[in-house]
Amino acid sequence: MMKKTICLLVIISLVFPLGGCWSRKELSDLAIVLAAGLDSTPEGNILLTVELARPSALGGSQGGQQIGGGGQQNNVWVISQEGETVMDATRYLEGKVSRHIYWGHTVILVLGEQLAKEGIRKAINFFSRAPHSRETIWVIVARGQARDILNSHSLLENTSAQAAGRMIGAGVGVPVMLKDLSMMLANKGVNPVLPRMELTPSGTPQGPVMYENIPEAQNAQQPSTKIHAEITLTGTAVFDDERLVGWLDYHQTRGLLWLKDKITVGEITVPSPSEPDKKISIDITRGSTRVEPFYDGQNIWFDVQMNLDGALLEQQSTEELTDEPIFTAIENSTARAIEANARSVIELAKYDYGVDVFGFGQAFHRKYKEAWPALKDEWNEAFISADINLKVEAHIRRTGLTTNRLSK
Amino acid sequence: MLEGGKISSGQAVFLNITMIIATAMLAVPAIAAVHARQDAWLSMLLATLLALPIAWVTASLGTLFPGKTLVEYTEDILGKWPGKLLGLLYLLWFIHICSIMIREYGNFLIDVFMPETPLIVINILGAALAAYTVKNGLEVLARVNQIFLPIILISVILIFLLALPEMKLERFLPVFEAETVKIFKGAIVPWGWMGEIITFAMLIPFLAQPGQTRHTAVITIPLVGLFFTLLAVASVAVFGPVFSNMNFPVLNAARVINIANFIDRPEPIIMAIWIIGGLLKISIFYYVSVLGFAQWLNLKDYRPLVLPVGVILIALSIAVAENMLELTHFLGNVSPYELLTFELVIPLTLLLIALVRRQGGNRQ
Repeated sequence: MMKKTICLLVIISLVFPLGGCWSRKELSDLAIVLAAGLDSTPEGNILLTVELARPSALGGSQGGQQIGGGGQQNNVWVISQEGETVMDATRYLEGKVSRHIYWGHTVILVLGEQLAKEGIRKAINFFSRAPHSRETIWVIVARGQARDILNSHSLLENTSAQAAGRMIGAGVGVPVMLKDLSMMLANKGVNPVLPRMELTPSGTPQGPVMYENIPEAQNAQQPSTKIHAEITLTGTAVFDDERLVGWLDYHQTRGLLWLKDKITVGEITVPSPSEPDKKISIDITRGSTRVEPFYDGQNIWFDVQMNLDGALLEQQSTEELTDEPIFTAIENSTARAIEANARSVIELAKYDYGVDVFGFGQAFHRKYKEAWPALKDEWNEAFISADINLKVEAHIRRTGLTTNRLSK
Repeated sequence: MLEGGKISSGQAVFLNITMIIATAMLAVPAIAAVHARQDAWLSMLLATLLALPIAWVTASLGTLFPGKTLVEYTEDILGKWPGKLLGLLYLLWFIHICSIMIREYGNFLIDVFMPETPLIVINILGAALAAYTVKNGLEVLARVNQIFLPIILISVILIFLLALPEMKLERFLPVFEAETVKIFKGAIVPWGWMGEIITFAMLIPFLAQPGQTRHTAVITIPLVGLFFTLLAVASVAVFGPVFSNMNFPVLNAARVINIANFIDRPEPIIMAIWIIGGLLKISIFYYVSVLGFAQWLNLKDYRPLVLPVGVILIALSIAVAENMLELTHFLGNVSPYELLTFELVIPLTLLLIALVRRQGGNRQ
């Protein structure tokens, strides 16, 4: 009995130094990457920029932005490194960063414009292969250099990476995760699109230590208020396979979202039917799009049916909404506005960029699997010559808290 | 009798299910999708149909020679020396696939979660725990499995449900795009996996109700098939055909789960399922190898063999492949022939010989 007990104790105590603690990663040993940026250098190398969280500055009673005597404390550390591959650059970074670089919490992956023009496949492979990286990272194209975008901070969120991630997740631009990008790159029936972001002047921060932007403040020889730059979603990057070929602006991005059946939020502004210089805005409650391909062996055409459920939430004009014809006219012009927007994006994609970014090819593939193998390698040409018939139905279901205007 | 324990029919079905699904869980959908792409789930259904005869043959042999295991009745059918030889081949086969299981078990944990840990450490720990289970006998193994298999199944279903928001039915379209040949090619590996039901031939003598042997074997296959199909459906619906290039698509599916920023990245569940299921599966095949060797050598007890066989298993688990790619290549392109030879060709031949020569005591 005694012998058995001793044996058991020895075995149990031997278990602890074994296996389990081999690959341990203590939180305090990690440099947590919140955003990664990739640019290409003239030598064909990759310039990796990482936005590392500074845990000591994050959290605490003040939230992230600690405003006090010293002004704002930096929440992040942005550092760049050139390398032949992403991993190569990471290895050099290990010489500057005292902790193990950890990709598990990366929110956004920003691709520089030049790199996007040269091709993105070589850049993104690491992020879908390395086990600690996530396929749920939001992928973004920067206008200009990715490193510039990461050199920023957010006034609302702890870091600019989180702010950008939140914005994309909310459905403002086209939301593309790394897994979606891989799927788009693997599919011949669709070309990738990615949200475009850049830094834009975004208001002035207010607070006790921020100087007011008034003449008196400047007269008193105080430094004038700096203009804050925030990461801003400004449109969409259009790709031909892995190469950036052009942009869509903010308005055209709405049309793209409609055609990709990704519309979730937003508004549509149309002129008032009785007073064309005044506008009416409709909030999108629900939007849906159905694409039906047709093929007669010669011609390809698509019937696209878009439906909108909306709420009228702003009216500059004074017409009576309770008047049935006027209300129908508003609904019709809303439908026409959506159609015109979608039409302009289709034409841009067809004639300016020559790529199918809507996934019409996928829809075609689903329905005509026999015809697809012959068409798939020249799908973009087939898409350009295909007719696209748009049909939009808009229904305004609500008008907010009032029927007609309260005052005229 | 080497093994005094008895297991109920329910426990036997549970053992059979674990025996097949545990290690197939992560890699098999991708291997099927290499050929069948988004029709991988059809391959799974086809494999289920193809595997039913294997279960039937296994049960038939078992009922024909009641109270005897596979390595014992080969002697009855083929005569002493040819039978012994075939029995030895089967034992070597059991050891081979068991070592592959240990390798897969360790490989996954290292590839995904603990890259710096040496493979041998995980393999030794896994094999040691399995050795302990084996030493305790079949009844203990069956009961442990009875506790853990429901946990495994519920966890998998939970992952499936959590991944529902990421799934899109349109990713299945177009259905039947792959030619029939390709769907069949995709079905070969899952077929070979389901054919591991032949191992049940080593457990049939220990059933408490021998009358239900056939029932027990045959019901396993549709249940397993359903499970395989579920995994393929989840992989296709979340990723579309690109998942054929993933090492562990079910893990990737779990990694993209995000319910309201609250239930997020539940892949530790996958790791837990893998560890429990892998250990149980290794234990079953380990047990079968050890028991078979004891019977083959006419020993009175199988326990002295646990340690030596374990050492062989661990050594072989390292030697069986140089790296992950080699292992995947082996599982996808070579092992089906090995598996199906032992699972279908030989047992069917044995059954035919037995029937022609009117052997066996229990002919209905």
